[in-house]
Amino acid sequence: MMESISNLWSIPLLVIIPMLTAIIVNFLYDKAIKPISICSAIIILIISIISPYGYHWFTGHPAFNPDTLLFTFNPNIFGYRLSLEFIFGPLQHIMIVISSLILLFCVTLSTIGLTKRQGPYMALLYLLFMSSVIVIMVNDLYHLWIVVEIGSLIVVGVAAASGTSISHKAALKYAFFSAISGAGLAVSLALILGLTGFANISDAIIYLRQFGIGDMATVLYIAFGFFVLSWMYAGGLAPIHPLKSEVYGASYPHATVLLQVQSKLMLVAIGIIMLRLFSMLPFVKEVMIFLSVITMMIGVIMALIQVDFRWIIAYLIISHSGLVTLGIGLGTQEGLVGGIFQAVNDIIYMTILLLCCEALFYFGGKTSTKEAYGIAKKSPFITTAVILGAIAAAGIPPFNGFQSEIILIQACLKEGLPEIAVLILMVSVTTFIALLRGIYRIFLKPPELQDQDDSNVDLPKVLIIGIIIFIILSIIIGIYPDIVLRFIIPVVKEVLLI
Amino acid sequence: MTSTETIYERLKKWLDKFVIGSGYTSITTGYITGELQFLVFIIVLSVFFRIFSIPLAIIMLIFITTFALYFAPVIKDVEKENMNDLNRVLFWMVIYFAIIIAITLWGG
Repeated sequence: MMESISNLWSIPLLVIIPMLTAIIVNFLYDKAIKPISICSAIIILIISIISPYGYHWFTGHPAFNPDTLLFTFNPNIFGYRLSLEFIFGPLQHIMIVISSLILLFCVTLSTIGLTKRQGPYMALLYLLFMSSVIVIMVNDLYHLWIVVEIGSLIVVGVAAASGTSISHKAALKYAFFSAISGAGLAVSLALILGLTGFANISDAIIYLRQFGIGDMATVLYIAFGFFVLSWMYAGGLAPIHPLKSEVYGASYPHATVLLQVQSKLMLVAIGIIMLRLFSMLPFVKEVMIFLSVITMMIGVIMALIQVDFRWIIAYLIISHSGLVTLGIGLGTQEGLVGGIFQAVNDIIYMTILLLCCEALFYFGGKTSTKEAYGIAKKSPFITTAVILGAIAAAGIPPFNGFQSEIILIQACLKEGLPEIAVLILMVSVTTFIALLRGIYRIFLKPPELQDQDDSNVDLPKVLIIGIIIFIILSIIIGIYPDIVLRFIIPVVKEVLLI
Repeated sequence: MTSTETIYERLKKWLDKFVIGSGYTSITTGYITGELQFLVFIIVLSVFFRIFSIPLAIIMLIFITTFALYFAPVIKDVEKENMNDLNRVLFWMVIYFAIIIAITLWGG
């Protein structure tokens, strides 16, 4: 029996439109860049909202069931898929919609703020978004490797594009490590391919669960080790965090918004793949939890001792990445739900904080906490927004951060790990302290120098609208978390085969 | 010199170790909070050894707390080890990787 089921129309569009836009704007100058970029971002957002769920199989052959000897193109009927594959399901839906919304604001802001080299910079932002979209949809080993490699190089490009010597150094160091982690991931994928014979990740997992690994466990362990390396690198987990935080701190704040989106999506996507591929091995979850705990604590401690607001946020992004991976590392239903939900929430409240940081560029661009600038007097709106963002990041109700952190704490307690629940609470409180230090110095404290300019600054309307939208989103998700959880729970059940 | 003055002097000396350059107040508070956070963090982590054995956790707790207090303030060293120097990151990555491989192979 052969069935005909077509590939989902929206998946290629979500990849090709950003790619085409990147190519086109790279060749354009001046006024044409802005309308094309914004229109493209709006189209991507619309596609991501209206797209149904489905698959894209690259190699045109059907799936094969060795028991019934049937071939099928229907992904809902069991069979080895044998193909390179992208999936657009509920998890991809919520992640890509939020990323597209962020892309729209980032692209618009960069057209307002940048005057030089706008085309290539815009191209990099679109490619960064494209790598985020692919990594969350990918379900085969080849595309996974390619997207991690390309994603790393684009991060290097975006960091270098801000044009300062610090950003150039950050980009160069990050580029060195991309060679190590990319090669490591390639070795890992080659080992898995050699063990199972399948390039499709679902096929490889089915094979491992059905036939076991026997004496080849050592090979799978080595594959896991290299996989962890690329996970640490892509998400900026300890000990790679100094390089990743440098990239976050040295880039433009609106670019950092997209960089942290990419990092969170990579952490979730690679983390889930690791959990599915290696969870049968002892000590795998413990290693993931260990890395997460170290990352979240080191990140938040380093945030406390920074003297620049951008670097405080950069280290907090790292620290909260640890919360995301902790949930995934727990490997339980609550843990996974909490981890993925934390990724969504983290993206939203860090966007609020980074957009407020972007606003500081319109007040002279000073973000050092060594001086006081009295921004509250000049812009009460931005000051209120940054305080609300800090409250959301600290996990205080009714904002979204509270909902995911409480799920993570409950997951830890259910697993009999109260120490880690205490550490999550510590991270929440310390996040607030670290942010408030910066907010007090930059926004609330009256300026120490009398000759500072007190004139009002007109902030771009799109910046204000963006901040308002993300604050509203944060409150809505905080009050009614089910609007996000209903996308996450089915995926988690599928991952855990409940 | 009374005992109160000695304690004050000691505390002042300890706090002075955090001050960098001109000694900004907000920086000093950040370092002190970071020091306390780090101390609590390693104490909580040492308790975590209870999953292997409770006596081991007690020994680790006493050992780590004593070391942390003896070598305090450690936040400056934590900061130094977390600098974005390429060689340092490479060194730590090799150490991490060795630990991960050792633990996972041991588990197998």
